[in-house]
Amino acid sequence: MAMNHPPVPETAPRARRGFVRSRTLAALAAGALSATSIAVGVASASTHLPSSGRRAPRVAHAGGFLACEVTDTGGINDESFNESAYNALKAAKKVDPSISYTYLSSTSTSDYVPYINDFVNKHCGIIVTVGYDMADATAAAAKKYPGQKFTIVDYEYTPTIKNVLALHYDTNQDAFLGGYLAAAMSKTGKVGTFGGQDIPTVTIYMDGFVAGVRYYDKINHAHVVALGWTPAAKRNYASGSFAGTGLFTNNFTDQGLGKTDAETLMAEGADVIFPVAGAVGLGAAAAVKQAGPGHYMEWVDTDGCISAKQYCSLFITSVTKGIVPSVETAVLAAAHGTFHGGNYIGTLANNGVSISPYHTFASKVPAAVTKELAKIKAGIIAGKISVDPNSYPAS
Amino acid sequence: MRLELAGITKRFGSLVANDGVDLVVEPGEIHCLLGENGAGKTTLMNVLFGLLRHDAGEIRVDGETVEFADPGDAVRRGIGMVHQHFMLVPVFTVAENVVLGFEPTRRAGFLDRRRARADVARLSAEFGLEVEPDAVVESLPVGIQQRVEILKALQRDAQLLILDEPTAVLTPQEIQALFGIMRSLAAAGRSILFITHKLKEVMAVADRITVMRLGRVVGTARPEETNEADLAAMMVGRSVELVVRKAPARPGRDVLELSGLTVVDERGVTVVDHVDLRVRAGEIVALAGVQGNGQTELAEAITGLRPVTSGSVRVDGLDLTNATPRQVIRAGVAHVPEDRQGDGLVSGMTIAENLILDVYDQRPYARLGSLDLGEVRRQAERKLVDFDIRAASPTVPVGTLSGGNQQKVVVARELSRPVKLLVASQPTRGLDVGSIEYVHRRIVEERDAGAAVLIVSSELDEVLALGDRIAVMFRGRITGVVAPGTGRERIGLLMAGMEEADLPPSAEGEDGAVTALDLT
Amino acid sequence: MTRTETGPPPAVAPATAVEPGPRGEPPAWARLARRLVEANVAVVTVLALFTALVIGAILITATTPSVLHAWSQVGSAPGHAFYVTGATIGDAYGAIFTGSVISPSALGHAISTGRGWTGAFNPISETLVKAAPLILAGLGVALGFSTGVFNIGAQGQLIAGAIAALYVGFAVHLPIGIHLPLVVLGGAAGGAVAGFIPGILKARTGAHEVIVTIMLNYVFLDLLTYLLTSRPFQQPGQSNAISRTMPATARLPHLFGSTLRANLGFVIALAAALAVAWFARRSTLGFSFRVIGANQRAGRTAGMDVRRVTVLVLVISGALAGLAGTVTLSGTDFFLSTGYGGNIGFDAITVALLGRNRPLGVVLGSLLFAALDVGGASMQVATGIPIDLSSVIQATIVFCIATPMLVRELYRLREAGGGSIQLFMKGWSS
Repeated sequence: MAMNHPPVPETAPRARRGFVRSRTLAALAAGALSATSIAVGVASASTHLPSSGRRAPRVAHAGGFLACEVTDTGGINDESFNESAYNALKAAKKVDPSISYTYLSSTSTSDYVPYINDFVNKHCGIIVTVGYDMADATAAAAKKYPGQKFTIVDYEYTPTIKNVLALHYDTNQDAFLGGYLAAAMSKTGKVGTFGGQDIPTVTIYMDGFVAGVRYYDKINHAHVVALGWTPAAKRNYASGSFAGTGLFTNNFTDQGLGKTDAETLMAEGADVIFPVAGAVGLGAAAAVKQAGPGHYMEWVDTDGCISAKQYCSLFITSVTKGIVPSVETAVLAAAHGTFHGGNYIGTLANNGVSISPYHTFASKVPAAVTKELAKIKAGIIAGKISVDPNSYPAS
Repeated sequence: MRLELAGITKRFGSLVANDGVDLVVEPGEIHCLLGENGAGKTTLMNVLFGLLRHDAGEIRVDGETVEFADPGDAVRRGIGMVHQHFMLVPVFTVAENVVLGFEPTRRAGFLDRRRARADVARLSAEFGLEVEPDAVVESLPVGIQQRVEILKALQRDAQLLILDEPTAVLTPQEIQALFGIMRSLAAAGRSILFITHKLKEVMAVADRITVMRLGRVVGTARPEETNEADLAAMMVGRSVELVVRKAPARPGRDVLELSGLTVVDERGVTVVDHVDLRVRAGEIVALAGVQGNGQTELAEAITGLRPVTSGSVRVDGLDLTNATPRQVIRAGVAHVPEDRQGDGLVSGMTIAENLILDVYDQRPYARLGSLDLGEVRRQAERKLVDFDIRAASPTVPVGTLSGGNQQKVVVARELSRPVKLLVASQPTRGLDVGSIEYVHRRIVEERDAGAAVLIVSSELDEVLALGDRIAVMFRGRITGVVAPGTGRERIGLLMAGMEEADLPPSAEGEDGAVTALDLT
Repeated sequence: MTRTETGPPPAVAPATAVEPGPRGEPPAWARLARRLVEANVAVVTVLALFTALVIGAILITATTPSVLHAWSQVGSAPGHAFYVTGATIGDAYGAIFTGSVISPSALGHAISTGRGWTGAFNPISETLVKAAPLILAGLGVALGFSTGVFNIGAQGQLIAGAIAALYVGFAVHLPIGIHLPLVVLGGAAGGAVAGFIPGILKARTGAHEVIVTIMLNYVFLDLLTYLLTSRPFQQPGQSNAISRTMPATARLPHLFGSTLRANLGFVIALAAALAVAWFARRSTLGFSFRVIGANQRAGRTAGMDVRRVTVLVLVISGALAGLAGTVTLSGTDFFLSTGYGGNIGFDAITVALLGRNRPLGVVLGSLLFAALDVGGASMQVATGIPIDLSSVIQATIVFCIATPMLVRELYRLREAGGGSIQLFMKGWSS
């Protein structure tokens, strides 16, 4: 598969709506006081804005296998999980050219049900849905059409549904490795993280990161402090709660906010920054670059040295989430008759989550640290090392 | 220039606005085009100035038939027009305005200001149009702004000057000055086409008079051959009263009492300055003055439309200082606003709806928040008859009516309630003679029925004809309260800011109307 | 003195003087023809739609590979190129129609087999579902516009209404006959409160409602985002930003059986349109709204309380937007998330413009927009032509409506007698 598609920060699952509105509003606000520009603003408001800059594929659906995605309200070009899932469909076609694919972009939550129905009537081989927002609509459709295969990104059903493969990712596992590495590389003894929004798909990263830092302190008797996220002392960790308090931009697109937050963290003394906020992270990268030598970052979701090349020299590593391979696998399985419903959990063990190669930091990361990381990874896989930050004392 | 219009016909759909109009303006002639509003004067001028295309007939300039596709063509053929609403850039100087569109330039396209100033100075001197070339237009009085408009036309070498209702915004003194300018232009061989509906002005200045009615020319005359009554009769097709017939006032108790009334406007300017004024039941007080001297604001302060800064407004003993318009209306105050289209009417709504603007939520028009459309219509039909409003039906949008009929709608609405005080601002502005007479009669009837009436008017004729007492306002202050027999010159001086005390005592019963207009 | 006229003058004023006599009366067909070439609003609207379809067809032709391929070989097979173009355009528009109104083949199948009625009527049902909130929010916006109040905050008011409706939905337990009306009222009240804020700010401080309502959109969106992760709104057992669901007693009943999503929301929307029509035409309050919308100064001079009307307009406008939020929540979605409401609040502005601020116009405009949305999705699924085509058609329609001059020039129409187009555009320039 040619990696010519744009960067895919999957940490921005729910914010696209706000973006669409803000563009619309900007158009309205810009000229709201004059006649013509209201009309212009109205016109742009009516066009559902950036639902697709890219054309829908021309479906040549002649008996072949058709993979269909219904995006959530973020749309197909959300630089996040909707787009990653779509890239997975393309990747599947690379592997098996008999597969064709299409999608529908929801503009509101009301679209989920009819769009899924449209695809059921279109006899899609698999319908890919995205995000917890669509969980109920997906479950209801799966119940109504038991012969239809579904896969849903970033969700987990209990109990499982036999014709739905729910994909979710324990990104606190690789974030744990990222936290350990950040602590090891810090000269100031402080590292920082911030998030795009206080929701589990974001805070799970921050939580694992903090746990990794604390683990570093514990085994090395160090006192590296993680800023930007404090896990709640009492929480139901076993049932998947990543509650806590932290630093959030409440936005996944405004790079200026990322710059501000990164500068705040650096002013507090942090020299390694881990933004979990999609494109907002680019603002953090700009701030880190400006701060000069001795300030580094870790990228999130995808390998930053591919998706944000211009800042590759700042990235110690990237904490990645394997939406593309897992959705691709699900599509291929459905196409080849090996599909099974249930829950898939991306972990370090199945490479559903991982930290990327060091790239420019290959020579700078001490071999001992790399060796320790391999040990930790094995420990997490074996269940011997907990990724709950509350398992370790905070510095 | 000799201008000849022959058989000009202009139709708008089924309406014939100009029907075979013939008109000749000789070189050096002041030719008055007289007619009521809606007689077709403006349409004819728009045809002449290239703004409208005529359907039939010919325009000849010095014997040569011409076609004007746009005003530019007309200007090139030596026709200039001074519109009723000035087309000046307020923040530009006089010289800049005069050359605007035909700017003298030096090399590389730079504006030649020196030549612009010289042009203005030369034209000013030539025709006795005194103007300071470097004055900023917005700082000039209206009369001077009008001169700038005339200069503009002359700078483009206009041989025929069209003046569209030029006197509407001027003081008596300014009108006299304008007439002087017109005469000097005519003496220099320029022709003037003077559009008006004011008979006295026509008699004072015209060499020849053409009267239009209903799109046709109904007569031509020389002023020495005719008189105002004849002209009026030609305009309206019947003879009209030019004076208001009214019995002497029999004033009763004080109804409106203004004491120390002061209004500061949004810009912080004191527009009404410690005004004390009483209007008694059964009398008409006419407030004279050049527009913009606080009369409008005074009326608005009384009717609750403008906040009072200090002082008080009492109506029939009730304190209405800073009351809401609704409270003022409920207190028995009727208000005919100055700007009838802006404040008095909703032009897109029907006559019937406009007749209930102030009582729409009361019986018999409304019950439990619901309008009784049948009753609204029935009442409206009655008022069409009672107030002589000429319209096909009450469901016609009020904006389609002529100015006179629109004003009758306002009057009908305001006088349909029990009235203790009537405040009427410029009640007959822009109306035809018939409507003026009607409105005046209604106002007098209201007085005779015991209402106190305050008329705000910049028409001196109206002030003199209607007022039982005349108060003159200048820069927010009352400069004098005089009897209606007072001479025009004297009132003119009060309007110009002289205090009553500074003036020499006047002879009783002086006939100002004649002296003021005898300008030659 | 020379009098050139002898006979008595006509008794009426010139404006009405020249009545066309019986001889001058043009025949009925000529009058009809003249009406059709006049740029009146209905004609402009129809031509706007037509123009939009033509532009859509050009876009289809210019972007569909199979069509372009056919044209690249136009030399060898010219007929084929035309055939492919026509067929592609026909398929696309056909798919929009069958996807939004009714599919003749599915209907035929249902008639012949007695089964599959759901499939046949699902498209129109979906259009009604989509139209309902658009009508309600559009009525609110239109009411504001026609009163000279520019409520750009329908989106925020809709969210506020939905929040209130949801709260009434899960916080109280009552039988459906009481619960559902209470939820609907709650939604309207929520929107009304959201409308009251800009109203009172404008009345008391002169704050421009456009700015305030736009900003309040953010406020209510962020309020929703906050509530979604807070008790008691967040769905129990969920740590995602998703709300509790509406209980069965707070859901709007389906109109045509449980398999079609069309629900009572559409009936509520139609009832609201009737109510607004009555309100504007027959109520005293509506009368004052109209007066102040047409000429605020005249209203004030006549003793109307402009501030009070400003507040009330925004309250009623907000209540209608709140109802729009409620029918979506109680009719189809049953839960709130940050993606709730989509663009309805902004599309409402468009349909208000399209419907010329009249209730019937808003209803028809909403149905058209809903059909283009719903049918557009079907078209993308069926033909691969992106749904964006629907958006282009919608935008072109609005563009033409907003610039009637363009349509008039394009089709060489004459200026309409009443200047009705200028009249309906007038409000936008103040």
